[in-house]
Amino acid sequence: MARVKKGCEIWAIGGGKGGTGKSFVTGNIGTYLASRGKRVILIDADIGGANLHTILGVSRPRTSLTDFFERKASLADLIVCCDSSNMGLVTGDLHSIDSGNIRYTQKLRLFRQIRTLETDYILIDLGSGSHANTVDAFLLADKMIIVLVPEITAIENMYHFMKNVLFKKLKISLGSRGFKEFLQDTWRNRTTYGIKNIKELIDYLRKHSTEVREVLDRELSGFRIYLIMNQIRHTSEISIGFSVRSVCMKYFGFKTHYVGYIEYEDLVWRCVNEQRPYLQSYPSSRCAKEIGRIAENLVEGRQIKMTYS
Amino acid sequence: MPGEDYRRYFEILELQPDASFSEVRNAYLHLKRLYSTESIVIHPIANEFSEESRQEVLQRIEDAYERLSALFQDNGSAYTGSRGQPLGPEEAGDVHEHVSFSGETLRQIRQGLGIKLHEIAFATKIRLQYLENIESERFGDLPPEVYLRGYIVNYARCLSLDSGRVARDYMKRYRDWKKKS
Repeated sequence: MARVKKGCEIWAIGGGKGGTGKSFVTGNIGTYLASRGKRVILIDADIGGANLHTILGVSRPRTSLTDFFERKASLADLIVCCDSSNMGLVTGDLHSIDSGNIRYTQKLRLFRQIRTLETDYILIDLGSGSHANTVDAFLLADKMIIVLVPEITAIENMYHFMKNVLFKKLKISLGSRGFKEFLQDTWRNRTTYGIKNIKELIDYLRKHSTEVREVLDRELSGFRIYLIMNQIRHTSEISIGFSVRSVCMKYFGFKTHYVGYIEYEDLVWRCVNEQRPYLQSYPSSRCAKEIGRIAENLVEGRQIKMTYS
Repeated sequence: MPGEDYRRYFEILELQPDASFSEVRNAYLHLKRLYSTESIVIHPIANEFSEESRQEVLQRIEDAYERLSALFQDNGSAYTGSRGQPLGPEEAGDVHEHVSFSGETLRQIRQGLGIKLHEIAFATKIRLQYLENIESERFGDLPPEVYLRGYIVNYARCLSLDSGRVARDYMKRYRDWKKKS
């Protein structure tokens, strides 16, 4: 695996629909990296639906992100140990009800502290939905990762999430250069300009001025979402990842990296219900190997190739 | 064509510039199917994109495939189809309409695509020896019929062929041999 040169790398795992296996993927990629000698900290930011600790077989911790937001505790003090000495966990909130109202400054404070943690990788489980909180946190990561299952409802929610992320990205990129109102006006009056989708919006914006075009080209050239297909029941479903990658490029105009897939496996939910960490219980299973490959691909920034289907 | 930007065509087919012809063909068939049929990937955004833009995407895919086919032909590794004719993009899907698939035809198609037998073995997890026996039609050294059919289907998929037809033709040859022996 490649050496991380400066500081740690933050990976955020999100993706619209609930139940696609984000927590399972996060927990097990983390476990894999830790087993390869990397220092890993997992943060369960699925505020209101945190269960990463269950997946890892850790009993419910007493401290959580609530303490960070409400008591201004430092993030480093909230880390609890997992089975592996290389891995720590900050669990999400299970009691605070006002979780939707975390201010942007609070989130920035969280990310500032995340960056100071002494570790190699920080994996943030964002939970489902396309809430502004989730979108913001997703964009602040070094690698944005989506976990998808081969179901039309999951794909639908994923597109919604992606569009929200991309729009927010445009807002941040253009907003900081004084084009916030231009963007909002354009979108509000999109029917007048004949804009039907986000790609046409970007095409329209690019024509505005050289400055806007340069900003967009620069910001979008580095924009990339990493895609994981989970719960594959048939080999033909592997290609859905390639199809989604194609649609993102050709219809939305941004890059995705398809880093791998994980087969559907009954043992997984049995492990989860028994609160046994899957990767440690079945280290040589096919799922475990697929998880390992995904983790390596994410580290290296590689993607899988289409094989004969 | 010197100076022509082939990178662009690889990009349209979502491939790296060092892709082999079989990768080009696979990507082309995949994308063509994706944008010409309704699927769970397209359906949720179908109303956002006009029929026009879909046709435009398809046209670009066709163009890219045509250019890249020509490129591979110039380099001498072209897939010329079993009729000895250069393969046009339109006929790529059903060029073998009038062919009966024997072990030898499969071998020719595979070699035409520039795919090594061990690559097939790797992709299908079929033992190399069996693949050799399939191509040489050493029927006596092949596994029982039920397994064999599965092997043929997987092998045919590797070559982007109509696996049902290939299996039908090949298994007929197998059964004819069985009757005789």
